[in-house]
Amino acid sequence: MATSTATYSETAASEAARGRGEPAWLVDARAEAARAFVATSMPSPALRPWKYTDVTALDVESFTPDAAFTPRVTGTAAAGGFAGSLVAALASHGEVVREHLGSVVPGTEGKFTAANAAQWREGVLVHAPRGQAFAAPVTVTVEGREGAIFPRILVVAEPASEVSIILRTSSPAAALLVAGVIEVVAQADSRVRLLIDTRWGADTREFTTLRAKIGRGADVQVGSIVLGGHIVKQTVEALMEGEGSTSTIRGVAVGDTEQHFDFVTLQELIGKKSSSEVEIKTALAGASRSVYYGVTRVEPTAIGASANQENRNLLLSPRAKADADPVLEILTNEVIRCGHGATVGPVDQDALFYLRSRGLDMRQSLVLLVTGFFQSVISGLDAPGLVEELESALREKLATAELE
Amino acid sequence: MTQPILELRGLKVSIAEKPDIHIVKGIDLTIRPGEIHALMGPNGSGKSTLASTIAGSPMYVVDEGQIIYQGTDITAMSADERARKGIFLSFQYPTPIPGVTMVNLMRESLKARRGAEVPAREFLAELRATLNKLKMSEDMARRYVNDGFSGGEKKRAEILQMGLLKPDLAILDETDSGLDVDALRTVSEGVNALRRPDMGILIITHYERILNYIEPDFVHILFEGRIVKSGGFDLAKRIEHEGYDPILKELGITSTKVAEGAAR
Repeated sequence: MATSTATYSETAASEAARGRGEPAWLVDARAEAARAFVATSMPSPALRPWKYTDVTALDVESFTPDAAFTPRVTGTAAAGGFAGSLVAALASHGEVVREHLGSVVPGTEGKFTAANAAQWREGVLVHAPRGQAFAAPVTVTVEGREGAIFPRILVVAEPASEVSIILRTSSPAAALLVAGVIEVVAQADSRVRLLIDTRWGADTREFTTLRAKIGRGADVQVGSIVLGGHIVKQTVEALMEGEGSTSTIRGVAVGDTEQHFDFVTLQELIGKKSSSEVEIKTALAGASRSVYYGVTRVEPTAIGASANQENRNLLLSPRAKADADPVLEILTNEVIRCGHGATVGPVDQDALFYLRSRGLDMRQSLVLLVTGFFQSVISGLDAPGLVEELESALREKLATAELE
Repeated sequence: MTQPILELRGLKVSIAEKPDIHIVKGIDLTIRPGEIHALMGPNGSGKSTLASTIAGSPMYVVDEGQIIYQGTDITAMSADERARKGIFLSFQYPTPIPGVTMVNLMRESLKARRGAEVPAREFLAELRATLNKLKMSEDMARRYVNDGFSGGEKKRAEILQMGLLKPDLAILDETDSGLDVDALRTVSEGVNALRRPDMGILIITHYERILNYIEPDFVHILFEGRIVKSGGFDLAKRIEHEGYDPILKELGITSTKVAEGAAR
């Protein structure tokens, strides 16, 4: 695998960037990220966010980057805005890209984020100009093939703008490594909605970092539905910088067979009266596993802030497993409300008997219980039409899930 | 003679997780079409265990005896199979199921009971007809199953499901408990409105008061897992006036629990 190792080197990354005609600032950023990638070891389970997802044996460099990878973008931008190829945006919206790319998730902070910053070939820019609202959601379709892909999405919502993005991911059964980075810049009073529909194939390993910087009075809502993939690790972070900023992170996952899901959330409350909600629920069949590590950090400046994080895991089979670890770090006395809750357990036997006494067989009862369990999360997703589709996909997966 | 709806033959039941605890210690009971039987008894006599066992609760194990339903031995049958065959248990404590609406549950259970899809229009028409018959509003059907329901609402929701599923055997487990007089009347009138000549009803109750609204043909007194006396409606009336003690004394029964207690 000498060729792919070379691909990840600093020399190769900057030469490739120059060869693609990228601007000098980006070539420099590529070189810096590639350097960080080479210098950084794989995250060890000794690091808390990686405690239950051991990637030390994963050799990123054995996955050859898929040079032809291109996310598909559909939807029309609001007047003066942009929704499309990040490479194209380097020419047409160079200033916006230069100002914000890497400003939220630096290319040097971790193994996977560095790989992404050095290696992404094509990405997406969604730019909502001041005061403008997109009429309809932008859909980004990521279809992986094999090797490695580095989806890069930059969302810039200028003051008082509104934009909604639906990200759909899929891949065939071939071995695929996905190192994604999604940066969201939500400036004052903007509204950003991002819904991620994850349906990777059975041999895909995803490591994505999504981070949003949220300005005064702005609102960011992230929803993630995970059905596919072998390992899916999604880190979703909301930096509540502005006064009165709000964020919601919602997640639903159905695991089966040997699937391994890992959700990491950070709610960092910095601005006064900022508030943030996290609600992640999983239902686990087969020998699937879910891991949750959530940190709510209330900074001394976040007077009057409120935050809540909830993680609920339903074990549908005796082989399934979940670990939940919510953490609160409250550095001011003046919080309005700061709560957390986590549960792991099997299906309520009384509820199961109740449904079976109404004529529903074991599986029908479980499907109904799980869809009910997810209702609080799903009903909050701001995507009419898609929600029904997701619900039927959930039911379909449960219809064949391993319950023993 | 017509085939009985339900026959219990020498039924003995213990708790699945604690097989040493025998709750039902040999019961014979036959319910024929059109009959209403009341099973009465003090707390802890095994009434609810018997109700749950007939419905197929996995919490209990039949150690001996048989449950025959419409001529078929259902002792080993799952709860859902029994329900599809027309056995309905109205729960003493209906379980809340947040996130699942009553409509959703009822549509799924009607589909299961019939073994075929129920077209939406047909389902709604039947639901409305049943709601009307029971003088209930559609609001209840839109709420999550038993979630945040008052005691009375829970019991009415049970009767609503019974009305829709049209069981051949309805077991009403303490349907009167926790209800005030008005709610008790509403629920009882509902049961009477849903009664069909070909169905059997087993009413499990601690007090006789529900029997003033739904008059039983037979009354059985359950005591420490056995039926110690059977009679007509007058037996229930006697319990109303005298309580259980004089009847038990007359039968020469002293509680083993009391006796054990005295011996200590």
